[in-house]
Amino acid sequence: MSKQIQDAYIVAAARLPIGRRNGYYKTTRPDDMLVHAIKAVLGQAEGLDPALIDDVVAGCALPEAEQGLNVARMAVMMAGLPRSVPGVQVNRFCSSGLQAVAMAADRIRLGDADVMIGAGTETMSMVTMLGNKIVLNPGIFDGQDNLGIAFGMGITAEKVAERWQVSREDQDAFAAASNKKAVEAIRAGKFKDETTPFTVKTRVPDPATGTVKVVERVVVDDEGPRADATAEKLALLKPVFAAKGSVTAGNSSQMSDGAGAVLMVSEKILKQFNLTPLARFVSYSVRGVQPEVMGIGPIEAIPDALKKAGLQQSDLEWIELNEAFAAQSLAVMRTCELDPARVNPLGGAIALGHPLGATGAIKTATLVHALRREKMRYGMVTMCIGHGMGAAGIFEAL
Amino acid sequence: MSSQSLVIRRAAVLGSGVMGAQIAAHLANADIPVILFDLAAKEGDPNGIVRKAVEGLKKLQPAPLVTRDRLAAIDVGNYDQHLDRLRDCDLVIEAISEKIEWKVDLYAKIIPYLKDRAIVASNTSGISINQLSEAFPAARRPLFCGVHFFNPPRYMQLVEVIPSATTDAAMLDALESWLVKRMGKGVVRAKDTPSFVANRVGLFSILAVMHHTEQFKLGFDEVDALTGPRIGRPKSATYRTADVIGLDTLAHVTDSQQETLPDDPWREYFKAPAWLTALMAKGALGQKAGGGIFRKAGREIQVLDLGSGDYRASTGGVAPEVDQILKNRNAAERFAALRASSHPQAQFLWAMFRDVFHYCAYHLAGIADNARDVDFAMRWGYGWAQGPFEIWQTAGWKAIAEYIAEDIAAGKAMSKVPLPAWVAARDDVHRAEGSYSAAEDALKPRSTLPVYARQLFPDLIVGERHDRGETLEEDDSVRIWRMPKLDSRIAILSFKSKMHSLGKGVVEGIYRAVALAEADFDGLVIAHEAPFAVGANLVEVMQLVKAGQWDELDKVVAHFQGATKALRFAQVPTVAAVDGMAFGGGAEVAMHCAHRVMALETYIGLVEAGVGLIPAGGGCKELARRASEAAMRRGRQDPWEEIQKAFGFIIRGMTSKNAIDAKAMGFAAESDTVLFNARELPYAAIRQARAMFEGAYRPPLPAKAIKVIGRPGNATLHMDLVNLREGGFMSEHDYIVSEASALVLCGGDVEPGTLVDEDWLLDIERRQFVELLKTEKTQQRMTYMLESGKPLRN
Repeated sequence: MSKQIQDAYIVAAARLPIGRRNGYYKTTRPDDMLVHAIKAVLGQAEGLDPALIDDVVAGCALPEAEQGLNVARMAVMMAGLPRSVPGVQVNRFCSSGLQAVAMAADRIRLGDADVMIGAGTETMSMVTMLGNKIVLNPGIFDGQDNLGIAFGMGITAEKVAERWQVSREDQDAFAAASNKKAVEAIRAGKFKDETTPFTVKTRVPDPATGTVKVVERVVVDDEGPRADATAEKLALLKPVFAAKGSVTAGNSSQMSDGAGAVLMVSEKILKQFNLTPLARFVSYSVRGVQPEVMGIGPIEAIPDALKKAGLQQSDLEWIELNEAFAAQSLAVMRTCELDPARVNPLGGAIALGHPLGATGAIKTATLVHALRREKMRYGMVTMCIGHGMGAAGIFEAL
Repeated sequence: MSSQSLVIRRAAVLGSGVMGAQIAAHLANADIPVILFDLAAKEGDPNGIVRKAVEGLKKLQPAPLVTRDRLAAIDVGNYDQHLDRLRDCDLVIEAISEKIEWKVDLYAKIIPYLKDRAIVASNTSGISINQLSEAFPAARRPLFCGVHFFNPPRYMQLVEVIPSATTDAAMLDALESWLVKRMGKGVVRAKDTPSFVANRVGLFSILAVMHHTEQFKLGFDEVDALTGPRIGRPKSATYRTADVIGLDTLAHVTDSQQETLPDDPWREYFKAPAWLTALMAKGALGQKAGGGIFRKAGREIQVLDLGSGDYRASTGGVAPEVDQILKNRNAAERFAALRASSHPQAQFLWAMFRDVFHYCAYHLAGIADNARDVDFAMRWGYGWAQGPFEIWQTAGWKAIAEYIAEDIAAGKAMSKVPLPAWVAARDDVHRAEGSYSAAEDALKPRSTLPVYARQLFPDLIVGERHDRGETLEEDDSVRIWRMPKLDSRIAILSFKSKMHSLGKGVVEGIYRAVALAEADFDGLVIAHEAPFAVGANLVEVMQLVKAGQWDELDKVVAHFQGATKALRFAQVPTVAAVDGMAFGGGAEVAMHCAHRVMALETYIGLVEAGVGLIPAGGGCKELARRASEAAMRRGRQDPWEEIQKAFGFIIRGMTSKNAIDAKAMGFAAESDTVLFNARELPYAAIRQARAMFEGAYRPPLPAKAIKVIGRPGNATLHMDLVNLREGGFMSEHDYIVSEASALVLCGGDVEPGTLVDEDWLLDIERRQFVELLKTEKTQQRMTYMLESGKPLRN
């Protein structure tokens, strides 16, 4: 079990509805999304003095252009927080958001801080997958050892599907189920506790009057899920990454825009401001695997996080497993023998979307609210990570 | 207006059906803003109908639009709300349903909104223009005529222009000139008779084929084998064409012809045959219904069998003895043999030609000004290699006329009506001085409209010859010449090799032409018939490869690089007139000229990867140089994006879809010229060279500071390659070939941002090229290409 001086308590966790790439948030900046998420969690901790925030840690997987320049500090200032509040941007690709939550928690657990925000934001509309410019190290191509670094995520999913023998049918069925669960969850209002509606303002020319018109649209629900994404329809899609492959646009996660934030405090602050804790941060693990099968990263991280938490896998009642690809999700679930009924009961990234560096914070928000709602105790957020890593974070509802 | 001065700033097309929408698309292709109208939708968006039609343009094949962004030039409107927008339109083309009352109603509606001098033209394929003209007030009638496009309008050359009795002659001249130059069309002036010229003859020809198919008890598959390329007609021949048109449409047109042609001696044949009616009753309407005369059953093509009334495998071909006759290049012997043969296929062909000749001769006076117009109508509108009068004349006018007369007398012809008297009185219908007009009993010369002076090499009719200008020197590979009537100080280089491939002789020709032009001329134009050039002569390369003469190969490549350099750095302007394919070395020749004058249908690409090679005539070098320049212009740090794009084109061997696309891909310059009429290329290229010379032309300075992306750039290109290979989209050898082009494009194994000169890149290009030639798999690819004409993926 990992050592700590004090517990980190989550007192607020919120996220924006996730938008499809070039959808709702096509023109919405990632720092503005982050500002909104930060304001939302602070709004849920009434009476807490923002000046007490020791740091804001924000994950972002492609920190450049609109989300470069330390998007965390940018958001702190744009949110109107005291200038004394700092901000740091962290990048561990797809687990950036979870990494941010863990790093924020650790500052409290270490006794160095009492109020921390762990968050994540990502626009894939403005900063495309792999970023606006990639410049690889030529050394990658000297020999075979590091060639996997050059593999696109889709190819790694194909490798996983092949080696872990995940069939196209199973992938499509998994993807269809993800969509079905997400559509039903939205219909039943299951995301209401965690989501904070966002008003998108778009400035468009109005040639008739010669003025600029501000068009407002309030985004309430996630944009991604498709009610019509049945296994039969998904079966019609062509593989995109390999000529004879099984990974399609339909059984892969969607490219998305979104942000989320988690407000954590020490016990001292809980008492001082009479705050109600939602959950306690329990443990976190990140492990490395071969980059060409990066999707199986959680297979290494999950047991490690459980070990650090001193828990059995059966203790985990709700698991948010980031669906980078149906292929890797199924490979992880089968290898770790995760109970499918406990994994992504509200659907996953295939349906809801995967705004890279924001996903970890978003899934944490989903998890802690779900645990409370369902009166469960332990839950986990886990995901695979590019260049061959896996992360898992365990939380306990209070 | 003079014939040169028609200005169409904006046009409108009324009716967004298959023709209207595509005509609008072609106007947009020609950079003419157009508003496409249709009825207001009863529900939802009032422009719903027309928007749907515009949407449909994106999916239609062959593509009506040259590039997607041309859609922006097509505005939409409906007759209820937007007629006031006609006030800006100089040309209004009506293309609504073929119902006279509807057309007349619509004209009444639009008249109040028309601009003063706006031309209104109907795209009707059959309704009388004179009758339609009456819908307009007297003052407007001079500005009304018919313009009959053929489907698909972007690709079919023919437009029939049909005046009414009151159409203004100057307007017609101006419109014809505009159609020829701006739309790239071949115009035939038709008389206002039902179906005008091409469809009148074309439909009869189909009916004659149908009639004789039954007479001679031939299969539809057999007849298609007979009436396709073997007699100079499109591959889809007769019955497959009918399936494409739609059997219901064909039947409808046939039936309506019968109504509109009460006095046609062949009237009884203008009705759908029983088998066609039966097919229609079964819903087998042709391609759109998934089957008609032909259908697909799994992998098998099946054809309707007239005897059994059922489908059978389509296997019918041409009998060897008939094939032998058709191979005879002497038309007189060919026709005599067809007529003399007892083989039903030969009899069929003779009978079909005979009746079509008979029909055309009988109707010439009524439907067309002269025989040339009929022949061009069939060539441009139906894709025939020769028109009916040309075929007849080539086969011997007198002899064929006698055969026909005998057959009429013997009751073998479809009609008993005698040939018109002029037929026997003449020896031909086409002569150098003009083509025969039956109505005026005179030879009519070609149009003297100035627009035709732009066509130095117009489509010829039998009996005519081109003015080939004055030869300066000529060998088996090239001809260097000039065209004194246009500009005696611009030299012209034409390739003579097969498909204009680049062998030793052509490369030598380039050196000689440049030297000659620099010494004695003001400019050099490279021009010849399409294709521009299909690339290097692989036979010559393979000979050296087989002999293992690598040093010699290196010299050959260097020599070719020298030729493209000579074009780029010539002291006089070099202008390439590009039509059709410019592949590989052909692309490199075009890319190195100072300017390109391109026909719209130009396909440029560096396709060397297909034979396991990379562009080494300066193609990679040029793309790297242009990438660097583009990046510098934008103040960018490095040309990464441009290089990545160029790399994609090279490794996939991508070619431009048209000349405008060639600019977007970077094979042509933004300032290059695009002509819609390919016949105008040599004229415009010569004029272009002249203008450049008069502009005190200086060649570019050799680029000495090409910024390259070096090792990390190459690594990133490799990332694409690794994923393509892992995904099974690329073979191991594709990978090796692609690596070679990556190395050139990145400037070699150097640091990013390194500045290199043109020769540095050319050296890498050449060395990589020769290395690839040494690989077994590249040799296999080249051999396969030489043997089969197709690329091998190994």
